[in-house]
Amino acid sequence: MNAQEELVRRLALKRKQKLDPLSDEAFAELELAVRQNPLGFVDDDEEQAFSLIVKALATFEESVRDDDLRDDAQYVAERKRRLDALAATCQQALLLDENCLDAALIAELAVDRPQNELFERLFELEARAQDRLGALEAGVTGDAWTNVFLRPRLRLQAAFARTCINTARFRMAVDTCTSLLATAPLDALGARFTCALAMVRLEDEDGFNWLDAREGRHGNAWFHLSRVILMYKLGRMSAARRALRGFDRLCVGGAYLLLQPTYVDVYLPDRPSFVPNSFEETMLAVHEADPIIADIPDFALWASSQPDFLASAQDYCARNGFEWRSWDE
Amino acid sequence: MAFDPQREDYQRLGIRFAQSLHKSDARNAARTFATFGRRFAQDRDSLPQTDSDRAFHLVVLATRAIDYELPFATDLKAAQIIEDGHRMLDEAIALDPHCYDAIRMKAAATNPSFDAFLGFLNERQEEVRAWCEGERARIPLDEPDERYRLLADLAMRPYVRWVAAQAEEALICGRNKEALRLSHMLLELDPHDVADVRFTAAYAYAKLEDQQGLEALVSSNHAAGRLRPPDDAWTQLARLAIHFKRHDPSAAEAVLDALLASYPHAAEALIRQNELPDGVFSRLAVIPYSEDEIILAISEGMVLLQEGVEPQGHGVLGEWVSGMAAKRRPQALLAVLAQQSQQNDSGEDR
Repeated sequence: MNAQEELVRRLALKRKQKLDPLSDEAFAELELAVRQNPLGFVDDDEEQAFSLIVKALATFEESVRDDDLRDDAQYVAERKRRLDALAATCQQALLLDENCLDAALIAELAVDRPQNELFERLFELEARAQDRLGALEAGVTGDAWTNVFLRPRLRLQAAFARTCINTARFRMAVDTCTSLLATAPLDALGARFTCALAMVRLEDEDGFNWLDAREGRHGNAWFHLSRVILMYKLGRMSAARRALRGFDRLCVGGAYLLLQPTYVDVYLPDRPSFVPNSFEETMLAVHEADPIIADIPDFALWASSQPDFLASAQDYCARNGFEWRSWDE
Repeated sequence: MAFDPQREDYQRLGIRFAQSLHKSDARNAARTFATFGRRFAQDRDSLPQTDSDRAFHLVVLATRAIDYELPFATDLKAAQIIEDGHRMLDEAIALDPHCYDAIRMKAAATNPSFDAFLGFLNERQEEVRAWCEGERARIPLDEPDERYRLLADLAMRPYVRWVAAQAEEALICGRNKEALRLSHMLLELDPHDVADVRFTAAYAYAKLEDQQGLEALVSSNHAAGRLRPPDDAWTQLARLAIHFKRHDPSAAEAVLDALLASYPHAAEALIRQNELPDGVFSRLAVIPYSEDEIILAISEGMVLLQEGVEPQGHGVLGEWVSGMAAKRRPQALLAVLAQQSQQNDSGEDR
């Protein structure tokens, strides 16, 4: 989430409303001024609350950046500290603006709790937002994302869809994602990736093909991995083998990450940004697919027995100085 | 109903025996047949039988050992049971190279993964079908109707069990559409569903969150002459899972209550959720609505219960079911906890 940018945009738009009519040039200048000193433009509780979240997320990110320097014990302690701090700031923000959706969402995500409990809480949150604001609509631009004030709601729904996957509610994940794609077709949050995973878990080939065509068939780590899973589940093994080779060739570290799953912490509040075709992209895709892969018990075994796949994984591991962990450990 | 191998053994030899009696001498035949039961139990070798009957008898013995004794055996005895079981299966295959029950059971134990076992079953499915159909075609057409029907039924059973195992294995492997395809193929072949493959299908529909499909399956039961009402544990757990996945907790709770009502011992089993090894001959033969049956359905239901991200180990639906059953039947929870602490204590003593 590019929180700082959103804050600037929100503040500039609110000030614009007070100053209207404003020429485009004047608005550009206003935005520049806001960017230089956002807090000087905060003049209601809503933005006060949002700016608290922006600051808290920045502090949180700073702490994450140093995780590589921490040993396990330090990491566990620091992780707890920064999550608690983030959750506490969210509560502060909610005191200022009880309708601050981002604060409510992050407050839920920042607490370690069973996924089903998280699901129930996000379900409630969305239901309350629905009561207060009505159904999410695309708006005049045809994409709700272009309205910066609607983004928190989109983030909530995207997080909800991921929680659906984690609680094995795949049809709900698909429904949530397709409705997100209808209201925000540009899909800045990548709900289509979540959707692809849920569809292949349901072995919905038509759905997946629709999504793939919508994407122009040039996919990414989620699509490549989803295709492997789908073909495997449908028992089309030569297509599955081809898709697996494609996944390994086109997704950086694909074989390695599939055979050596990597720990990824909770998204706060949305999927971390990643450079296209990067190791991070593959890592996030494999992480999100984990509950679906766990449901096909011999999938990893099958993959590792394909020619060159294991070698490719170990080669990537060695080239990047990672440590290979044996499955028996 | 599932398959009772001992009953099938009895039926095979019974028919063989009846066939050996002189057809014209009906009164004498009845009297001679009266001795069959005693000879079956005490002097089996004196009865007329083929190598394929002998092989099937070894399958029965292996099944008794592997499916019914092994789960309760101590570690020390387990190794012996497994060894004996395999020896009997090998012997069965040596006697009758087309003893597909033995071939399948042997493969179940020796294939390195679910996937490999499924691959093996898929590969030889046609061969098994062709053989069983050939056996059925070889039944003399002048057999009395009832006997002909039973013989035809017995001839096809190894194939029925083969496909039922395929469907179950496909479900375990996460190939739910394949599990459904195989289940429906079998239901067409055997509308009465001796194999209870519709239970496997019910879980596959739940995995695909296909409520319409599940209800269509249930409503086809009656038309196909399957008389058991759809209050078996499999259908109910499948329905419960779909309600849960659609976030309809009150409907899920209602199904849970129905389950607790139709299975008097359900609560403890639902709290505990033990995973048992699958029967290698077929789904274990248990009494409808017994504690064993609900335990079996829960064990097969792991594909539904254990899914999702849930650090407690029960899976998301599993946690919910376990918690809700405990809430409904606090006494059952106490019993489970008492038993667990007892097991822990005796574990520490060792």
